[in-house]
Amino acid sequence: MENKKIRIALTKGRLENKTVDLLDKIGYDVSELRDKGRRLILSILGEDIEVVLAKAADVITYVEHGVCDIGVVGKDTIMEYGGKFFEITDLGFGKCKFALAGKKGEDFYKGYGVKTVATKYPNVTRGYFEAKGMDVDIVKIEGSVELAPLVSLADGIVDIVETGTTLKENGLEVYEDVAPISARLIVNTVSMKLKQERISEIVKQIEENL
Amino acid sequence: MKRYDLLTPEGTRDLLFDECIAKRMIEERLRKIFSGYGYSEVVTPGLEFYDVFNGKVRYFPQESMYKLVDGKNRMMVLRPDSTMPIARLVATRLREEPLPLKLFYNQSIFMVNPKNSGRDDEFAQSGIEILGGKSKAADYEALVLAVQALSACSDSFRLEIGESSIFRLLVAELDLCSDESENIQSLIETKNYPALNDALAPYSGAAAEALRALPTLFGGNEVFAAAEKYMITDKLCEKLASLKETYDALKASGIEEIKVDLGLVHKKNYYTGIIFRGYVEGYGQPALSGGRYDNLIGDFGRDVPAVGFAINVEAAAKVLLKNSDMSLSTPADVIVHAAEGSEVEGLKHCTALINEGKTVLNSVFATEAEAEQYAMVNGILRMDIIAADGSITTKEI
Repeated sequence: MENKKIRIALTKGRLENKTVDLLDKIGYDVSELRDKGRRLILSILGEDIEVVLAKAADVITYVEHGVCDIGVVGKDTIMEYGGKFFEITDLGFGKCKFALAGKKGEDFYKGYGVKTVATKYPNVTRGYFEAKGMDVDIVKIEGSVELAPLVSLADGIVDIVETGTTLKENGLEVYEDVAPISARLIVNTVSMKLKQERISEIVKQIEENL
Repeated sequence: MKRYDLLTPEGTRDLLFDECIAKRMIEERLRKIFSGYGYSEVVTPGLEFYDVFNGKVRYFPQESMYKLVDGKNRMMVLRPDSTMPIARLVATRLREEPLPLKLFYNQSIFMVNPKNSGRDDEFAQSGIEILGGKSKAADYEALVLAVQALSACSDSFRLEIGESSIFRLLVAELDLCSDESENIQSLIETKNYPALNDALAPYSGAAAEALRALPTLFGGNEVFAAAEKYMITDKLCEKLASLKETYDALKASGIEEIKVDLGLVHKKNYYTGIIFRGYVEGYGQPALSGGRYDNLIGDFGRDVPAVGFAINVEAAAKVLLKNSDMSLSTPADVIVHAAEGSEVEGLKHCTALINEGKTVLNSVFATEAEAEQYAMVNGILRMDIIAADGSITTKEI
């Protein structure tokens, strides 16, 4: 076959730097990754490994379709998009949480009316309230979700919270935590079997250097 | 109003030329294996009552089925699988048929995939079911046929075997509600080690320890030794020994592509014994899936133990197409062009050539020159021209 290399998909941005640091720590030559220019496919020199940079949701897509063997992606993306792959390791970095938040001092659950929740993550939000057996109206927002309760579009928001500074500065607070988030190592189900030895080796190296 | 008359629905597509040839080639190869082994073909309806797939135990989530209603307002589905309809068939029309019974099928199945996932909502599946008979013998036959089916599709493949009762016996050791055990099953299926650890955190003891290890127990022969310490009851030891016996027998017969995965559990939870999956290089999802299901047909009112598998024909065809360097279609041997007035003579000549075993293209071009031009472009090497008086001249191109 044309591609015997192991291809790893990395989520661009914050997780990317942490992952490159990790690969560096293992002892891989990450010079191409540090100095990538505009290239999207990079190699780790001296190894049979190729690295692809992609947006978070695309990492899942590439791994699911088997064009990438391994992926590094946040649990937030996995929860929102789902998919069929093995989720084998919690990498521990990129830690934050999904939380339900809203105007400070208000009781989200007060009254009988159906609540409106604004979010960038409609599936996570729906899943959370479904588990509570609660009907809510979900409004998908693309940009700063914090605005929605301030302009009374929504009673609350479900969003990723890291430090909570943005919430505080806008007079909002966390009502409750929805789920913890961190970076995960995912593997294509077929690659895991057809390239078992090499993938186990790489996964072991990664786990040892966390 | 938006019109959709120029599109096919998402998850479906038109198959053209080489794609059709590849698909028919795979179907033909599989049919040859199955009917060579004495299997009888069945075709079940594309439309079934919803209740067939929504019986005592629900194996298919309702959001993954295409539904419609019939003239009496009853709920119907486009069949999401062929095993359930065959179970229905065996318990009804084939009720009096003596066992064992060997059936095969080749038909499309339908499922609703998440949108924009790039997966097929309609695809052809070919498979077998062995109904009744001695379990071990039937298991071997299903496994050997699965290997043959996979090797008919690709040179590079793996068949992985597991035992579904190992998971079930271990879970029974813990006192879990069905939601919890379903959750743990799906975490084992997706080899989600971190979440599995969390889910099992409240439980201690050997069974929880074993469930935690289950998804890591995959690979070759070494898996059996590693798994031994987790087989905490006699029943479990027995199951593992039986799986090892199967593995060893297949290895000994020269089947190198066989592997084990004790974490193999299936969302379609009707499997009761051996369970297996086939992987083909170049396709990102399992291409073959099967196992033993001894209770399923009982749900339809006739107790028959059974084993079977289905292979994704569409996936196999894609891999075949990708791996073949040249076009699968071949040009016709002869193009026949008849002058005006002798068209019927021309067709008669075509039939005569076809009866000699040649492939023929009857020209409907306006002129002889156009026909010749077409033959040149498409690699047709011979042209027969029927003149107005019915005389035939042959020309090499």
